[in-house]
Amino acid sequence: MCVLCGGFVLQEHWTEKSSDDGGAIMTVGGDSGRNRQRQRLLRTNMANRILGYYGLKMEDWNGSKYILRDSKGSSEIVYDLGSLWPAVEKMIRKAADPLDPQLIERMQENPRI
Amino acid sequence: MPKIPVIILSGFLGSGKTSLLTKALKQNELQNSAIIVNEFGKIGLDHHLLSRVEERTLLLGGGCVCCSTREDLVAAILALLNDMQSGVQQKVDRVIVETTGLADPSPIWFTILRHPVLQHHFDVDRILVTLDAVNGMFHLDQHEESIKQTAVADQIIITKTDIASGEQIEQLLERIASINPAASIGTTHADDPDGSRFFVGDAQAVRTVQAVDSADLAKAHAGDTCSISIRFDRPLDWHAFGLWLSMLLHARGTAILRVKGLLDLGGEGPVSLNGVQHIIHPPEHLDHWPEGIRASNIVFIMKQVEPQQILDSLLAFQHVLGAVPYALEVKTAI
Repeated sequence: MCVLCGGFVLQEHWTEKSSDDGGAIMTVGGDSGRNRQRQRLLRTNMANRILGYYGLKMEDWNGSKYILRDSKGSSEIVYDLGSLWPAVEKMIRKAADPLDPQLIERMQENPRI
Repeated sequence: MPKIPVIILSGFLGSGKTSLLTKALKQNELQNSAIIVNEFGKIGLDHHLLSRVEERTLLLGGGCVCCSTREDLVAAILALLNDMQSGVQQKVDRVIVETTGLADPSPIWFTILRHPVLQHHFDVDRILVTLDAVNGMFHLDQHEESIKQTAVADQIIITKTDIASGEQIEQLLERIASINPAASIGTTHADDPDGSRFFVGDAQAVRTVQAVDSADLAKAHAGDTCSISIRFDRPLDWHAFGLWLSMLLHARGTAILRVKGLLDLGGEGPVSLNGVQHIIHPPEHLDHWPEGIRASNIVFIMKQVEPQQILDSLLAFQHVLGAVPYALEVKTAI
């Protein structure tokens, strides 16, 4: 359970199992806390490189959730990557497809988007 | 407490699932197993065949596990768990779920991975699929279910090799490799004394594809079931790969029948990745690399998506992923 908001976490998304921490065990403070926060920021930055193409932006919220926003001001709370893509689909009204030729072209032209 | 492995045994109608299981259960290795039979139709023939393990056999009512009655599977496994925990029954070493011949094994996988109680006590160890050496070709030609089962299998067991010709078996082997290059293939026959070997031991050994100079991407067409084996030149960034794969599975999950491989994330051993359609098994760390190959190697089996699309997308994402992908092998199901 999330101690900040009382939300239940029933299922840990597979992407939360990172390469070396053996799972997203939430601890407050110390090195593991900092490491976890660093991983979250890295992931947010990475996601934003892709989300930028759709005019969306994701930000970390208190180290427990993410907030996804579009340029019109709508926002959505996202728990993990499992709920990110459905939220993106809701905002852009189609599924964000990594096989989309236009997205691929854009990423090829500008690898640093 | 380690999770109890669940083995899903699937295969088309009449492909020899029950015969294999019945014989294998006579061996000591499988003595302490719980069997769950998913019965199709009202007369529980299969149930009678397994009546020897009566107290552990739980009959699922109403046919197909996959959609309508997977709650039955939950109830059956929960009842087993309850019996074990209350001491009515001793702890079993494994649970074997035998599906109907028409069942799609992926919902069973999903059920065990996602159920709030079951996910903490059980883990899908492997998906075994039987294919009949004599009629297997015909089933693959005629029935979509058979191709689907083959595509999601960890191991394919060719049965009835004693009554098939060498040529038939050769053709079937070739065809299986074209549908699912990630699966290991075993053979068995009516007098096989050691059927239990398929149910014990290391299941997740990924068949490593040998490097091919240039994979012929043009051969594959989108309508067919096809596969691509991809290798990366450097260790991957897990977060980036997770981002890409979760995006792909959200958009194209129904078309991606299977994702399987070993990933090099820069750590000591590889991380094994295993997914069926929308579902990814929580990645596992392995201690060491098999046979000294140390590179990420992933097989995608798909339908309605061309291998070239996957490769193009990974190439476009290479700066995020931190590694350049290249195709090792592309196969179209024949």
